[in-house]
Amino acid sequence: MHFAGRHVISIADFSRAEILRILEVAQGIEAGQRRELLAGRLMATLFFEPSTRTRLSFEAAMLKLGGEVIGFSDAGSTSTKKGESLADTIRMVEHYADVIVMRHPRDGAARLAGEISKVPVINGGDGGNQHPSQTFLDLYTIAKLFPELIDGRRELTIAFAGDLRYGRTVHSLLTALCHFRVRLLTVAPRGLEMPDQYLHHARDAGIAVTEVGHLQDAIAQSDVLYMTRLQEERFPDALEFDHIKATYRIAAAMLEGAPPQLRILHPLPRVNEIAIDVDRTPHAHYFAQAGNGIPVRQALLGLVLGAL
Amino acid sequence: MTDQPVTTSNTRVRQVEAIVNGTVIDHIPGAMTLKVANLIATANDQVSIGMNLRSERLGRKGVVKISGRELDERTLSRLALIAPSATVSIIRDYQVVQKFPVPMPTMFEDIARCANPNCVTNHEKWSSRLAVVSLEPLRVRCVYCERGFETAELVLV
Repeated sequence: MHFAGRHVISIADFSRAEILRILEVAQGIEAGQRRELLAGRLMATLFFEPSTRTRLSFEAAMLKLGGEVIGFSDAGSTSTKKGESLADTIRMVEHYADVIVMRHPRDGAARLAGEISKVPVINGGDGGNQHPSQTFLDLYTIAKLFPELIDGRRELTIAFAGDLRYGRTVHSLLTALCHFRVRLLTVAPRGLEMPDQYLHHARDAGIAVTEVGHLQDAIAQSDVLYMTRLQEERFPDALEFDHIKATYRIAAAMLEGAPPQLRILHPLPRVNEIAIDVDRTPHAHYFAQAGNGIPVRQALLGLVLGAL
Repeated sequence: MTDQPVTTSNTRVRQVEAIVNGTVIDHIPGAMTLKVANLIATANDQVSIGMNLRSERLGRKGVVKISGRELDERTLSRLALIAPSATVSIIRDYQVVQKFPVPMPTMFEDIARCANPNCVTNHEKWSSRLAVVSLEPLRVRCVYCERGFETAELVLV
């Protein structure tokens, strides 16, 4: 298993053993102090579109390991606005930094950057395509809550709810879950169901997938309920959006009969889909999930920089 | 990919017109015949086209013959994308000296644009790369944006 110098572009590039190694390293980092691990190393964050959690958590991860950070978070302030190609930006930045973390609005931009760059490129989100560090932190969160994910002693029931068609986090997470013993429930508005290619892949991997009609059905049966945000721009009809928004909303009252172990995850930002009163229930786990982004991104940085 | 005996094929090809030297593309699905001709022919080529010929394998098929020229690798790749069931015969002095199914690459490099309008290859000066993921029907997957497509969705470069 070789991580030094490797790009992190797509979850599909990683085997089960490699995924487990990343989770194991994250756990080790979280348990101990590794303050100077990346001292003298420089990370460039190239954020061609805005991001709060991903950029801040990568920067925090690097700084906490003693590394340093340069970068931009607004393509409007860069040469891209003057017409510089992505390829030329990468050819320049690879001489400045030891690792590149990039978010870009175009699908496939990270793969292209990886083909050019001599330093590792970590994909922080390429359009609607991939966001692998989010997937690693989602898996890390589930594995911390439910060690059965790793040892396979019990089949976990994981429910995905919301926009399963366009939500890249659920696509990547499902791809990764194909390596583990889980069954999947899906709850999605009509037209926003999980695309067939991901369902076929999951079924080929032996995962039973069941579409359930209501959030309440998913709540009653699941270990993990992974919520995603509904985006208004996906709905041509504002009235329909208002109706569906009301249907895809969890409030504390809906969790009264929930299995005690149920944990609700969300890649954030949440808008309406999780009421604030859920935050006080033992089922809310989305902020802890976001916090797991630090050790997971530290693990990725340490591994691709050959320090671990 | 099956192939018919040379003699049978020759007989049918000659229903169109024999050529002295050049290339015959046979077993083209009917609807693709003119597209194949357009794809291969340059302004100075002498091209003969047979359409709606009877075929045991395809029901109806097309044949395109091009005089005095053999196809380069890039053209064969383009042909594989739009008519993967076709066969290619090299003709020298009226004789079939070589006959083979159109070679199917594992990757189409800079042959067709990715059909995803948001794919980075449609916005940067960068060659497309479409990996073959299944043969019947022929499906490809963009190496960059990871989206899968039927070949009918693609536009040749």
